[in-house]
Amino acid sequence: MSDTPRPDDTPPGLYDDAGNARFFADPAMDRFVAVVMNMAQELWVQEERLLALEEARGGETVDRDARLKAFIDRMFAPIRGA
Amino acid sequence: MNVELRHGMKPDLTADEAARGRFVSGLRSLILNDLAGDLKAAYDRRAAPAWERAHGKPPQTSSEAHKALRGDPAFNIYSAMRVQAQKMVWASVADSVEREAGRLASAAAAAAGKVKLNPALAVPKNVGAIDVHLMPGSYTRGGETVEAGAVYDRGLAVFSMGLMGANLDDIGLSMSRYISLKYPDFQPRRILDTGATIGHNTLPWKQTYPAADVIAIDAAPGGLVYGAARAAMQGQDVEFVQMCADRLDFPDASFDLVWSSMFLHELSKKQRAAALAEAYRVLRPGGLMLHMELPPNAEMSAFDGFYLDWDSWYNEEPYYKGYRDEKPPELCAAAGFAPADYVQFVVPSIGIYGEQAIADMIATEAAEAVGQATTGRLAEGVMWFGFGAFKK
Repeated sequence: MSDTPRPDDTPPGLYDDAGNARFFADPAMDRFVAVVMNMAQELWVQEERLLALEEARGGETVDRDARLKAFIDRMFAPIRGA
Repeated sequence: MNVELRHGMKPDLTADEAARGRFVSGLRSLILNDLAGDLKAAYDRRAAPAWERAHGKPPQTSSEAHKALRGDPAFNIYSAMRVQAQKMVWASVADSVEREAGRLASAAAAAAGKVKLNPALAVPKNVGAIDVHLMPGSYTRGGETVEAGAVYDRGLAVFSMGLMGANLDDIGLSMSRYISLKYPDFQPRRILDTGATIGHNTLPWKQTYPAADVIAIDAAPGGLVYGAARAAMQGQDVEFVQMCADRLDFPDASFDLVWSSMFLHELSKKQRAAALAEAYRVLRPGGLMLHMELPPNAEMSAFDGFYLDWDSWYNEEPYYKGYRDEKPPELCAAAGFAPADYVQFVVPSIGIYGEQAIADMIATEAAEAVGQATTGRLAEGVMWFGFGAFKK
């Protein structure tokens, strides 16, 4: 990534030595954001497994897109309105 | 929210793979709709006023809006999450592509799509050496196998959140419908799609003008192999050829329509100028060059311009901003087209707004205006920007 050309007026300090974009003063924060998002994704995978089990046991079919939106809205509510 | 492809190369996903893809689409919807709104609010409330206090006037350009926003909490959250969500797009489809490699290869061979590769072609750096939009291995991943095409097709289905249609062809459908309604006497007999990748926005032109010979070219081989099979499976007679848009191996005056979608911004300034000049050369008199692209910075506010330019700094789209800083009428004129023959419009997504909305826009001539928060922005209410010129 570090060989990627950048726009002429690119401000300094946008990337780490490997060319990865940085947004927070502490570079560890950029990595933690990724960890949190991956964790939320894997939690949703488990949620879908549970939904499938409940449906197989005779429960009502669940609208996954609607359930997912509620899940994401609840999970990421603390970052809204920053 | 998530979209299930409707062609023979579509994935046979496990439950976990489907859940991961659905999550990424949902997350991108949060980022590109809700967090984007938070970003604009933070810009209006904090970043722009702070810039004005320091410089005596609000940000005037995309670059100034960028500098004003750097370090703002809303910008940091939006950007960090959007970068990671982009990486998750490609990660969410990698397992299924690897697992289904054998089936896809067999299916592609059986489909017997029309494809001509050119092993002697030197694939340009912008196609193979940069992980374009953070796509690992870029367009040349897997060489001449179907891998790059499968990753792109499946990834775009996750990425698009349903906004590009069931077969990712909304841009082509919307644009071809607009042209057929706006110019009913224009009946192209030969159509060329440049930078076509997997031909997802090529096929609508064959559907709109079924008697036309349609050729899709790209510099990367894998997408063409995949796209040829994908087209054949949909019963579409389109030929896929490995070729660079800035060095066309076609005679002068051999096409009636030269088209591209989301392509010019992935070329260097030099390549872009050459591609447009080549389009002019291969067009017949009366032919049309048409590009669906991002709207130019000159027609957008500093914030909205930066919102689109964000990709240039953070999504491995190094030529994005340079392209958007150029003026389409000047690009066409430099390629040889007469200024009076320039055309430009914004067309509603046919999947979101419906066909009648396109006809209504043409009737009222409302299709000319660039909407600040909708044109080219992949979010709720998206509209597509197009420009080009007729060759007289």
